[in-house]
Amino acid sequence: MNQTILTFITKVKPARVSDLKGLLEDMGNHVEDNSVIPFPSLKLLHFGSLVLNEDPAYGPMLVFENNFDGPLDPYLEDLYAHASAGLHRIYDCCVDYPAASAADKARMLSYLRAHVVHPNAYHIGNVGRSVERTHQEDALREGLENFLDDVVKQQNIGSPASIRQRVQAFVSSQPQFAWATNVQPRQSAIEHFIPRLKLVLAGVIALLLSPLLIPLFLIWLARLRWAETHEPPPADLDVNDQIGRLVRREDHTQIVQNQLCSITIVKPGAFRRLTLCGVLWLVNLIARTSDKGELSGIPSIHFAHWSIIDNGRRLLFLSNFDGSWENYLDDFIDKAATGLTGIWTNVVDFPKTSWLVREGARDGSRFKAQARATQTYTNVWYSAYKQLTVQSIDNNSAIREDLFTSLDDSATRDWLRRF
Amino acid sequence: MSGYGDLHCASYVLLRVTEGSAARRWLGNFTDQIATGERPQKVTALNVALTYSGLKKLGLDEDTLGSFSRPFIEGMATLHRSRILGDADDNEPAKWNWGGVDESRAVDIVVLAFGADEGTLDKLLADTRAGFPQGGITELRTLDAGRHDDSHEHFGFADGMGQPAIEGTFQVKKAAARNVLKAGEFLLGYYNDYDKPADSPLVKAARDPRGQLKPPLPIEGDPVATNARAQMRDLGRNGTYLVFRQLAQNIERFRRFVDEATRHNGQLDRAASDRLAAKFVGRWQNGAPLVLSPDADDIALKDADDFGYRDSDAHGFKCPIGSHVRRSNPRDTLGPDGPTALKTANRHRILRRGRSYGHRPADPRVADDVDRGLLFLCLNTDIERQFEFVQQTWINNPVFGGLNGEVDPLIGNINKTATPAANPSQGGAGDANETSDAIFTIQADPLRTRVHSLERFVTVKGGAYFFLPSIRALRYLASL
Repeated sequence: MNQTILTFITKVKPARVSDLKGLLEDMGNHVEDNSVIPFPSLKLLHFGSLVLNEDPAYGPMLVFENNFDGPLDPYLEDLYAHASAGLHRIYDCCVDYPAASAADKARMLSYLRAHVVHPNAYHIGNVGRSVERTHQEDALREGLENFLDDVVKQQNIGSPASIRQRVQAFVSSQPQFAWATNVQPRQSAIEHFIPRLKLVLAGVIALLLSPLLIPLFLIWLARLRWAETHEPPPADLDVNDQIGRLVRREDHTQIVQNQLCSITIVKPGAFRRLTLCGVLWLVNLIARTSDKGELSGIPSIHFAHWSIIDNGRRLLFLSNFDGSWENYLDDFIDKAATGLTGIWTNVVDFPKTSWLVREGARDGSRFKAQARATQTYTNVWYSAYKQLTVQSIDNNSAIREDLFTSLDDSATRDWLRRF
Repeated sequence: MSGYGDLHCASYVLLRVTEGSAARRWLGNFTDQIATGERPQKVTALNVALTYSGLKKLGLDEDTLGSFSRPFIEGMATLHRSRILGDADDNEPAKWNWGGVDESRAVDIVVLAFGADEGTLDKLLADTRAGFPQGGITELRTLDAGRHDDSHEHFGFADGMGQPAIEGTFQVKKAAARNVLKAGEFLLGYYNDYDKPADSPLVKAARDPRGQLKPPLPIEGDPVATNARAQMRDLGRNGTYLVFRQLAQNIERFRRFVDEATRHNGQLDRAASDRLAAKFVGRWQNGAPLVLSPDADDIALKDADDFGYRDSDAHGFKCPIGSHVRRSNPRDTLGPDGPTALKTANRHRILRRGRSYGHRPADPRVADDVDRGLLFLCLNTDIERQFEFVQQTWINNPVFGGLNGEVDPLIGNINKTATPAANPSQGGAGDANETSDAIFTIQADPLRTRVHSLERFVTVKGGAYFFLPSIRALRYLASL
């Protein structure tokens, strides 16, 4: 089972910006039960967001983020089936939207298809788990937690193996858990193998072409060092007002999850644009082999993606993550400073960097100020499972996957510790 | 910076500025009386700290006011900060006795007064109050910590250990390497754990014509920023931010809960009751950490602080993962490896300087009407990264350390623990009950126990963020 990550990016008619803003604000305040897009009815959608960005230099722009199960077509069908009227209201505010009414399905969907932006690089925390499976496995754990509350009250709770046998018998006796005995693995062997093969192939090709690549690399490096020593230093950013606006949408799920959208301006010139493309390509190559829930050691990202937009002039980053903004940025600084400095050093106002990946984000307070300054207000944000973390989804999966396998004593104890 | 451990009595006087110029004169006179780290005093000590509104009323210019940190400027009681801090339901600022959103309860200044005994403290307070009428300030409320000869808080547990030590001070001699932090974590105007100067309020040099303040530290490797800073003067240097919260404790409710939860065949089981209380806290009553002494209290370990959890108790079998001390400082547990986890956890340390208030109950199992609890004070240079982070990401985080839907059993916002089921249509039976059930998990081999239906034992009654200036900065403020 594969997930798809994409955005629909459209220009907004300047005259309709305030209409759209009002509509989105209303949706954002009633995410679960708004009449425009009934998110909980979209059974394929993990996380979705709508961001109305109003940078005067680029014109108003609407970003509709979608992280969903399966390919685009069935998702679009489902989206249309549940939200055609709402989509029409939204996109009627956008430039070149051709549909005259919500009933004009062909025109509406072809408009959306034409505005799909696939990310240059992305990360998925819980590879291969559908929305449905995520919910089912959490309900199973809840059911077992309650069952185990009774087990532990007994005078003699018995051996680990006997506790496990009682759990198995309980699950088998419950019709609502009948699905639990027959679920496909997270990934097929092929799905697991291909990203690794690509990474190795890329390495081999680089090695074979090294007589050519090494001189090119040295030229690039010299150019990079020139840029790093001659580009204007980052501006001192006053972000107090900006933060006041941003935090209105933060920490509403008792900080189990948050979302952020950042739009940065790529440093002028082809050199930085090409470097950014190359770094994102490499990040994506590596991120595809990460199926243990971590991105560069960060264990708390559900879906994150980078897209170069506006013909290479801006970089869009969207992330749905666990915990607070502070915690997320600290993880960036402490665990992933190298990778993210390599990406964001190519945008303006990023802290001073050397050799592409050194310094940069390690200047914690300046990095946080820049991150806040470039973060845009997320008008609408939906999560299909607000109280679950990447780690708890993995734990729920592991409980279910090992429920009926054969475990020795030590593995049985490990399994019981998952509760 | 000192907690004045030898001065057993303390009061905190909350003040409102009514007339700025008179208040500046008062502050100038008062500054002369104040104890500093350089002039330790044997029988009394005074400190003064100011909120954003206090600084504004004293006449500090807008540019300088804007250079203070965001949480200090906003105050403790904005909607977003209430979400961060868990100040909802019974904790919500609208219900506070002081501080918070209501203008009539807003605090401008706090005077922290310490005395070796009741007599010296009373005299100190009387002398201090004598200056108020001419000083353009009125007394809003005084929080008396009273007398405390030992460091046990009202639930009966030793408190105040497990503090970080500041690099370059005498504290380092006694401290384990894991607990030594850069001065800039607790004092403005010094380098912090990122080797950057702690973010400090700055005054334009032109606004300091008498040269009362010193220039800020340079930023290594950043000549542009360093040049810009050379035009500024450091108002924060040798000062820090003071977080002050009044936390009421319900002792009888706490005792009754642990008694009832551990009743054995209907009989009170005192040992089991004490053990459950210790599991909540993560230390025994005399202070021995559960991770070092899992089965019984051990007075020899009362100050033990050189330990981690990763190697000896990764699964929480000794000290529950969600216990108060493990949440407040997870040490080496949260991260890919021990040293990284310790390094990142140490970015979020605070210096606690709190004291209990209200006399200790004669019998903790009998309810009385005495208002008692903890006057929680802590010092840090980055309120967001330190105090608020601890409160949000550790104390009130329902998924802390892999847990599910529970918060700190003592100071967490208990009413709001449970989150709705992943999908109401599939949640099965019991959802309606679960949303109001606060739990605490005690990990054990082979099977954990979940304690259900936790009650709120601690309630926030007031709070504010203060700037605790150096003597130099106080003199500057007085001379505005």
